Amino acid sequence: MKTEKIYSAGIDIGTSTTKMVVSRFLLKNVAGVTHVPRIEIIEKTVLHQSPIIKTPFLNKDMIDMKKIEEFIFQQYQLAQIAPTDISTGAIIITGESATKENAREVVHTIADGAGHFLVATAGPDLEGIIAAKGAGTLQQSKNSAKVIANIDIGGGTANIAVMQFGEVIGTCTLHVGGRLIEFQDGKIQSISLPLLRLMEKWPQPLVVGDAADDARVSQCVEEMVKILSMILHGQCQDEGHPLLLGHLPNWYKPVDAIVFSGGVASCIYEHDCTQRQYDDIGEKLAKMLLQHEQLQSFLWLQPKETARATVTGAGTQTTDISGATIQVDADVLPLKNVPVFNCHMDASIDFHTTVKTAVERADDLFAIQDNRSPFALYFSELPYLSFQDVHALCQAILQHLATKCAKDIPIIIVIQSDYAKIIGQTIQAIDPTVPILCIDQIKVDTGDYIDIGEVLPSGVVPVVVKTLAFHSK
Amino acid sequence: MNEQLVSMITQLVMEKMAQSADSQTAKATTTSTAQPLIQFYDKPANSQHSITEPEAVASEPLIKLYQHEQVHTASTSLEQPLPEAAPAQPFQFDTAPLNDSVQAAQTYTPARIGVGRAGTRPKTKTWLKFRLDHAAAVDAVYGEVSEELLQKLNVFQVTTKVTDKEEYITRPDLGRRLSDEAKALIQQKCKQQPTVQIIISNGLSASAIEENVQDVYLALQQSLNNLNINMGTTFYIDKGRVALMDEIGEILQPDVVVYLIGERPGLVSAESMSAYLCYKPRIGTVEAERMVISNIHKGGIPPLEAGAYLGTVVQKILHYQASGVELVAKEG
Repeated sequence: MKTEKIYSAGIDIGTSTTKMVVSRFLLKNVAGVTHVPRIEIIEKTVLHQSPIIKTPFLNKDMIDMKKIEEFIFQQYQLAQIAPTDISTGAIIITGESATKENAREVVHTIADGAGHFLVATAGPDLEGIIAAKGAGTLQQSKNSAKVIANIDIGGGTANIAVMQFGEVIGTCTLHVGGRLIEFQDGKIQSISLPLLRLMEKWPQPLVVGDAADDARVSQCVEEMVKILSMILHGQCQDEGHPLLLGHLPNWYKPVDAIVFSGGVASCIYEHDCTQRQYDDIGEKLAKMLLQHEQLQSFLWLQPKETARATVTGAGTQTTDISGATIQVDADVLPLKNVPVFNCHMDASIDFHTTVKTAVERADDLFAIQDNRSPFALYFSELPYLSFQDVHALCQAILQHLATKCAKDIPIIIVIQSDYAKIIGQTIQAIDPTVPILCIDQIKVDTGDYIDIGEVLPSGVVPVVVKTLAFHSK
Repeated sequence: MNEQLVSMITQLVMEKMAQSADSQTAKATTTSTAQPLIQFYDKPANSQHSITEPEAVASEPLIKLYQHEQVHTASTSLEQPLPEAAPAQPFQFDTAPLNDSVQAAQTYTPARIGVGRAGTRPKTKTWLKFRLDHAAAVDAVYGEVSEELLQKLNVFQVTTKVTDKEEYITRPDLGRRLSDEAKALIQQKCKQQPTVQIIISNGLSASAIEENVQDVYLALQQSLNNLNINMGTTFYIDKGRVALMDEIGEILQPDVVVYLIGERPGLVSAESMSAYLCYKPRIGTVEAERMVISNIHKGGIPPLEAGAYLGTVVQKILHYQASGVELVAKEG
């Protein structure tokens, strides 16, 4: 059987380190010969792993974009891949780096220049999920019924993703990381803001210049491990906890097993910190995690990747392949950062009203100062449709979207079940002039963003879903 | 008891159970994604009637089913007051909750996994469901496609050399030949040398045609229209076999034949349809030149999507002027 190769790049700009991977995907029709084709990624090979470098900064608030670009192109050369050969992948900026002044600019510039189709993405929940995928934890969770938490601890943050049966059931992010306190010449050189807030209640908080072996440093680390343990045990209800970044845990099942990934994890599992050449609390944090009593009640599992979990996830786990029977206007691709609006189907309301309301609400949500920007209308719970139903639905879609679409704003429809071909085709039959993009077998939700790559020879498109949708019961 | 009576009784019992639970909002216990023929309900009904006749679809109910609200407890001594009769619970299947792993596994297959057992045998519910599916499969083979559907599709009907179902099953060779009247009718009514000739036959499952053919046909028609491919005059063949397309190819000389035919029913679905395609089928065409898209039904490839996809397959066959193994070879 024929296979098809595509190349993917993953770049992770973290709080303290930056790294990159280049990988190759093998695509193949996995459906039997008598079936409608189903194209899947059957093999992922990491071709090149960059060394882990220190994230370059111009000053405290600015990332050195030039150096990062140089690094990336150098790695492409080492991997013997031209940037134009890259057709998918993700660049993510994580932890404290994401809070720098030029973070947005950096990812977008690199995403535009460093590959044919590279996606810029960020956000702590997504980071946790990508790390869990890269560490192999999501895969592990498919092999048992256990609820597994992947805790990716880097320099600035700990991103927790909890999963079961191969589905992410919740996330949480904490200000717990190796670089929250940095040392120089045996003295404290810097303390991060969340830690300063944590110590506000202390009679004598640590200050810059205190000795590195001060007992209060250990106390800080202990606090970090304590909050992590409480979160994992589902005992933390304090929404305003200074070490909490964003929301409280949103999973509802007790965690059975834990896996650590990220830079600090390499000190946990390998029992030496040779990979980290940083003068900070990373090592201490790893030791404390190993000793902490409450954490011993969990089953400890091994990750496949530690320090490179996030970058491996970004490079190999972010791409989905659409269904094989789809209808796409190749001229409008690729499309980046398309927001998704879930059009809820209700049996008691006709298609016309449903689509009308959805389009109006989506326009309200996504239009920037009356400029319509493209969005994808997503149909997740389409009932069983007859030919007449599809016609009615397509009439409704055209009526509310055709007037508003243009060359750069095609009608974008994403369907969870296998209906893209017939819906796309029917829209074309009714009105052959509108640019249409109709893909299926992709799971997204309102609030997600998708990137759709160029059509591959087998007729499918690679799709990167920046998802926050959880599988919840 | 003969086979048919057993299936009939099975059906009646299950309809009865479904009806008695109608008044309650009950949750189906089956987790299978496929539409079950009959749903089982968790909760018993609190219907008041003591005797009910099943509203069987059959004109004459064969058996009556009784459902007693009260248990007549035989008291040993008449002097003693009768004990308060406890209202009898209508029969209820034991619904032990499935654990997460079994539920997760069930989402991957329509097979009957994790159904439990009673001693060395399947549970009654599982067994009844199995019998029902088997009966549905038998019905599919022996059923007929309704006149109404054929009228709706605006197709005429022809026959093969087969005279009845038994002969159809025992003599496949006769199902591959048109009757003399059929040949004449086709000559007279059909457009000659169309690019695509669509034909429909009940084959081994009339229910497959009943359920799916309309959507597949309409979607395929639309798809061919969009692609500017011209179509011949579609007709329906009663009791046809796949290779019958060769003879039709001889008569009408089409470039491509698309043959929609009911598949041999199984226990997962009795409504599965196949679409066989062939480039210039003529008498003597070898099987390797045919290709098929199978498993077209609600739980498999959605009929509409299949129809839309068939259009692109036809386009590909016309482009390479080949089908089956040769098409794969030419595609490289």
